[in-house]
Amino acid sequence: MKNARRLVGVDINATRLGLSVGLSLADARARHPALIAIDADPAAEAKLLERLADSCARYTPLVALDGRDGLMLDVSGVAHLFGGEEGLVEEIEARFARQGFTLALGLADNPRGAWALARYARHRIVPAGFSGKPFAKLFHEMPVAALGIEAAVAADMARAGLRRIGDLAMRPRAPIAARFGADVIARLDALHGLARDAISPRFAAPDFSAERRFASPIAHVDALMATLAKLADDLVVLLERREKGARFVELSLYRVDGDVRRIRVGAGRPLNEARAIARLFAERLAGGAEDEIDAGFGIDLMRLSCLVAEPLAPSQSEFERAFEAERAAKLADLLDRLSARLGPSRVTRQTLVDAHLPEQAVVAAPAVKGEMRARGEGLDIYAAREAPSRPLRLFEWPEPIETLAEIPDGPPLRFRWRRVLHEVAAIEGPERIAAPWWRHAGAPTRDYFRAEDATGRRYWLYREGLYGRETMRAKWFLHGVFA
Amino acid sequence: MAHLRRAVEEIEARSGLAETRASSRLSLTRALDRMLGGGLAGDALHEITPATPSDGAAAMGFALGLAARFMKERSAAGLILAEDFAARDMGALHGPGLVAHGLELSRLVFVRAPDARSLFQAMEEALKSGAPAVVVGEVWRLKSYDLAVSRRLNLAARTGGAPALLVQASAYGAADRISSAAETRFEIAAAPSAHGASASGGRGLPGRPAFAARLVKSRLGSGQGPPVGLDTARTIRLTWRSEDKQFDEPAISLSLVAASGDGPRAARASH
Repeated sequence: MKNARRLVGVDINATRLGLSVGLSLADARARHPALIAIDADPAAEAKLLERLADSCARYTPLVALDGRDGLMLDVSGVAHLFGGEEGLVEEIEARFARQGFTLALGLADNPRGAWALARYARHRIVPAGFSGKPFAKLFHEMPVAALGIEAAVAADMARAGLRRIGDLAMRPRAPIAARFGADVIARLDALHGLARDAISPRFAAPDFSAERRFASPIAHVDALMATLAKLADDLVVLLERREKGARFVELSLYRVDGDVRRIRVGAGRPLNEARAIARLFAERLAGGAEDEIDAGFGIDLMRLSCLVAEPLAPSQSEFERAFEAERAAKLADLLDRLSARLGPSRVTRQTLVDAHLPEQAVVAAPAVKGEMRARGEGLDIYAAREAPSRPLRLFEWPEPIETLAEIPDGPPLRFRWRRVLHEVAAIEGPERIAAPWWRHAGAPTRDYFRAEDATGRRYWLYREGLYGRETMRAKWFLHGVFA
Repeated sequence: MAHLRRAVEEIEARSGLAETRASSRLSLTRALDRMLGGGLAGDALHEITPATPSDGAAAMGFALGLAARFMKERSAAGLILAEDFAARDMGALHGPGLVAHGLELSRLVFVRAPDARSLFQAMEEALKSGAPAVVVGEVWRLKSYDLAVSRRLNLAARTGGAPALLVQASAYGAADRISSAAETRFEIAAAPSAHGASASGGRGLPGRPAFAARLVKSRLGSGQGPPVGLDTARTIRLTWRSEDKQFDEPAISLSLVAASGDGPRAARASH
C-alpha cells in the first residue's frame, strides 16, 4: 500500500463523485475510468502559493504561508476598508474565483480559530457578538483534527473516545497533556483565544505606505508616473509627521491577474521631498527597468512603501558628508586658480591606461576638465606587492649605461651611469616588454631588470634587443629609479 | 641666533599662536615618534633632503610615503608640486610607480611650476585653501628659499591644517647647514633592502623600499629648546610597506653591514 500512487488533491467534481484525498489512483480509476489525473508538482504548487500570498498583500501587509495549501492573513483593522468583514471575505473570494481558484475561507479572532473555521465549519465568519464562552462553544462540535494536530494523534484520541474538540475542552487538562502532548493543550488555548498565536508574515509591514486603487486597471506608463507622484506626496506627508525621511522605498504594482511587481530604490540620504522620490523611480524605470513593470492586463493597485525611514535631524555622517563636499569644492577652486595662473597643462591628474610600454602607461589630463574618469582604477597590476614593480621616477629619455656581465645576454654585474660605477648587489628580471608590433614594426624588445647596487639604490635597467636574434651588441639603458 | 629664536617663541607663546595648534600628529615608528614628540605634526612644514646626489629618489620615496599616510588618514586629495628642472634632472614621477608605492593615483593632482618662486607661491596657496590632505613640493633651485619663505609656508600649513613636505633635491648633504622655520628636517639616504631569495641561488632580488633616515631638526611645537632625545647623528632604518602604507623599523640584524658603515657620527668624528 505504501508505494501506491495516491490522490493528493481533488476538485469539486471529483468530490461529488465520492473521491477523496488519500485514495490510491488505481482504486479511483477502477471506480471512474474517465478520471483525469495529473502528476503532483509540490515545487510548482509552493511557488504558486507564494505568488498568491504576494497578491494578498493588497489586503494587508501581514501575509503568511500556512502549510502547503493555506494562506494566513492578519486583517486586524483592515476590514473596514472593504466594507466590513463580510465585504472583505466576498472581495477575496471573488478575486480568487476570477483567477480560477476555489477557496475555503475562515475569519476569526485568532489564527487557529480562523484555520478551524476555514477547514471544518460551515460558516466562514464568527457571527457578531460571539466572544468568550459562546465563541469557544462554536468549535466544540468540530472534530479534534480541527486543532491542526497530526493524524496519528487524532487517531489516538479517537481510540480514547475523544472525537470532538468539546470532548477535550470539558476534561481536565493535565491528563490530556500527559497522554497526547502539551502541544494539544497549547492549540486548544490558542483556539479559545487564551494564548496569543502570532503569524509570521512573509514581509515585515512597512512603517509608512500610501496606495491608490483603480476602478479600471491602468496599463499606461504616463498614468503610472502621475499616480506615483501623488503617492509620493502622500508618503511624504506621513513621513513629515514623524520628522523622518525615506532611505529605501518600494513601489508595488498589483496586477489584475494576481501578479505583483516590486521596484525598490535607495537614497543616499533620508528623502522627504516627493519630487526627489518620484525622480528616483523615474530614473530607475528609464534605466531599463521598464520591462520590470510589464503591466500585463493592467494594474489595479499601486502602493508606495517606505521600507527604511531615518530621522531627518542632521546626523554625524551628514556633517562629515557636508565637510567632504566643502573640501571638494575648495579643491576645485584651488585647481581653477592654479590652472589660471600656471596654465592648464601644468595642473594635471594622471590615469593609468592599458599599455605595455612604460612611457605610455599613463596619461595626464588637465585637472580643470573636472573629475578624472575612474577608468584606470581597474588596472591594479601595479598595486602593492612585496616590492614595487615600477620605478617611482621615469626618465623621459632612457640614459645609456655601460655594463659588464658574466655572459653576453646575462644580467649585469656592474654598470656605469653618469660616470659613477655601481656594483649590482641584487637583481630581478628580466621582464620582457615589447612595443606593439602592429604599430612599431621592428622596434627592439626590451628586457627590464630591477637592480639594487651595493649602497641600496634601486634602478630600473633594460637591455634593448634580443641577443642573437635582433642584435649582436645589446645596448643597455637606465630608464628609472626606485625609492 | 638662539637668543633671537627664543624671543620669537616667547612672542608666539604670548600671542597664543603656540596654544592654538591642532594636535593632529601622524604616528610613524616607535623610534621616530619618540624623537618627534608623538608623531609628525599634521599642520607644519617638514623638509626632506637627500644625503647624497644619488639619494634623490629615496628622499622623494620617503616624502611620498608620508603623503600616502596623510592621504589615507584624512581621505582627501594630495597635491604634488614640482619645479620643472627637478623632473628634467631626476626623471618625472611615474604613475604606475606611484601606484606601486601605495598612492591612490585618482586622488593626486600634479602641478609643475616653471621656477622655485612660483612653486612656493602655489604651495602656500594650496596649503591655505585647506582642501588637500597633504602638499608635497619638490624644489631644485634653493636660492629663493629663505627664513621668510619657510615661515610663510609653515604659517600656511597651520592655517590650512595640512602638512607641507618640501623635498630639497639639490641640498644633498647640506641638511645640517640649512636654517629655516621648518618644524622638522629629515636627511634621507637609500638603504640596502632585505633581499629576497633568488630561484637560481645567485644574487638576491631587491626587496621593499628601504631608507636610512636622520632626523636633523625637530621643533616639537612647544619650542623649549632642542627636545630631549633628539640625537641628530642617529640613523634610523626604515622600510616602506606600501600595501599597508606603513613604515617599519626592521630588526638590526637585517642591516648589519650598512649600520656599521654609517655608524654613529660621534664615533666617526673621534677617529
